[in-house]
Amino acid sequence: MTTTTTALAHPASPIKRITSVAKLHFANPWTTLGLPWIILGVIFVGMLTIWWLIYSAIDPADRAGALEGTQFSGSSFFIYIYMMVVAIQAISITFPFALGYGVTRRDYYLGSALAFVVLAVIYTAGLTLISAAETMTDGWGMGVTIFAPVYFGAGIAERIFVQLVAFLFFLFFGSAIAAVWVRWKATGVTMFFIVVAALLVGLIALATFTDSWSAVGATLVDLGVLGVAAWSLVLTAISAVAGFTLLRRATPRNAA
Amino acid sequence: MTSTIEVTNLSKNFGKVNAVNDVSFTVEENKIYGLLGRNGAGKTTLMQLLTGQEFASSGTISLFGQTPVENAKVLQNTCFIKESQRYPEDFRPKDVFKTAPWFFANWDQDFADRLIADFRLPVDRRIKKLSRGQLSSIGVIVGLASRAPLTFFDEPYLGLDAVARQIFYDRLLEDYAAHPRTVILSTHLIDEVSNLLEHVLVIDEGKLLINEDAETLRNRATNVVGMKTAVETFIGNREVLHRDGIGGLSSVTVAGLSESERRDAHSAGLELSPVSLQQLIIQLTRTETKEFEASA
Repeated sequence: MTTTTTALAHPASPIKRITSVAKLHFANPWTTLGLPWIILGVIFVGMLTIWWLIYSAIDPADRAGALEGTQFSGSSFFIYIYMMVVAIQAISITFPFALGYGVTRRDYYLGSALAFVVLAVIYTAGLTLISAAETMTDGWGMGVTIFAPVYFGAGIAERIFVQLVAFLFFLFFGSAIAAVWVRWKATGVTMFFIVVAALLVGLIALATFTDSWSAVGATLVDLGVLGVAAWSLVLTAISAVAGFTLLRRATPRNAA
Repeated sequence: MTSTIEVTNLSKNFGKVNAVNDVSFTVEENKIYGLLGRNGAGKTTLMQLLTGQEFASSGTISLFGQTPVENAKVLQNTCFIKESQRYPEDFRPKDVFKTAPWFFANWDQDFADRLIADFRLPVDRRIKKLSRGQLSSIGVIVGLASRAPLTFFDEPYLGLDAVARQIFYDRLLEDYAAHPRTVILSTHLIDEVSNLLEHVLVIDEGKLLINEDAETLRNRATNVVGMKTAVETFIGNREVLHRDGIGGLSSVTVAGLSESERRDAHSAGLELSPVSLQQLIIQLTRTETKEFEASA
């Protein structure tokens, strides 16, 4: 076999190839870093206004009781779902682009995974700072909760862990959906959700027919927020492996 | 002469469709190849196979002596600019040019800047606001400035005007002369690129019809024009590729002529003219087409 090496580029190290792909996701940081914070800011101002209206309308004697309920606020949940969308968008858009640049699917997936971990760390850090500010200002001076709801556990360390794990789950679950999309387009994604829904219904049926809802509840209580968060890492890992496996055999196509 | 690509008995089936059907050829280093054929002939599938984007049903592909599939060592020496290449929507052209050097070791920023000026590309406008031609020029600039040892252009100039296309041809030739590399250019605009091409691959219905040096191919046929009787006498039993006639005049395309045959034709008062690459390919592929249409 005759080969030529004269004109060939000096092979880039695997680390450089993977970090290049990761950087690709931040080349225009608007979708991954800009928009989410802006939406979060708008929600924050909106929530604050509503709480302020309630705060002003309630008799000072009843305030503590009324605003205690805000600890079950779900206003920061959107950011997790949005991260899933970010992962889907990022992969479906940059995959055909990167392959044209001569990137292998393996390097592409590993680089994207690295970018997602970085995103999870950035968003966890940001939300931790804001929730710390919320605690320090005693609930923005009104005793309300927006960024530190009880679901994320008590105390900063616990909250950091739970949020980081939650971001990882949604990002990698998104990467699995994106891989299905890249490979089989809309048909695949529809099938994917049918399968996921069937699995969920199956699990619910299992719990109902075996009369084990109380056991499920007890287990969840036993696990606590931290336990549930830790167990979600299993799902995150499954999603990551599934995304990688599916993308390894995917072909970029022009049809969207 | 070393070869950059070696393809043996390559096939790719999508269900019952043979997009690429038992194709074998080699591509020599540092030449410009034309990959020609009609829409849906299998050009894009072939290029996707060569760059490891598509998986072969059977046969082997070797790029720089190795398989391209998931092979970073091989693939980082390739650049594949596709027709209607998609870019991340929120990108601006300058984001594309910022990220490209991370992937192409030979990237030349000065050359890219010159091309941006040549094509008058607005680098700050969002990708989704660009015209079709401007989008195409991004691909052309990346393909040229990347200086990848093996560059694929798949119909790179959708929507580009004649001036921009000429700039592309000129810059490609200039830069190729200074930095030789292997280029595979797929196109419908055969006559526009015919002076550029050193070797021609014609693919139709997934099969490789022509694999020939461009010069040899150009000499493969000649137009013979003159009075009908004189033309008929001259061609005799020769293979006729194409026949046209008005009144007593006749124009016939025949397979290549030797020097003495040319002299005979002149003395018989016939006019000889070269056949354009496009005409030749149309004539050579037409029979296949007719058979296909008859069977369809």
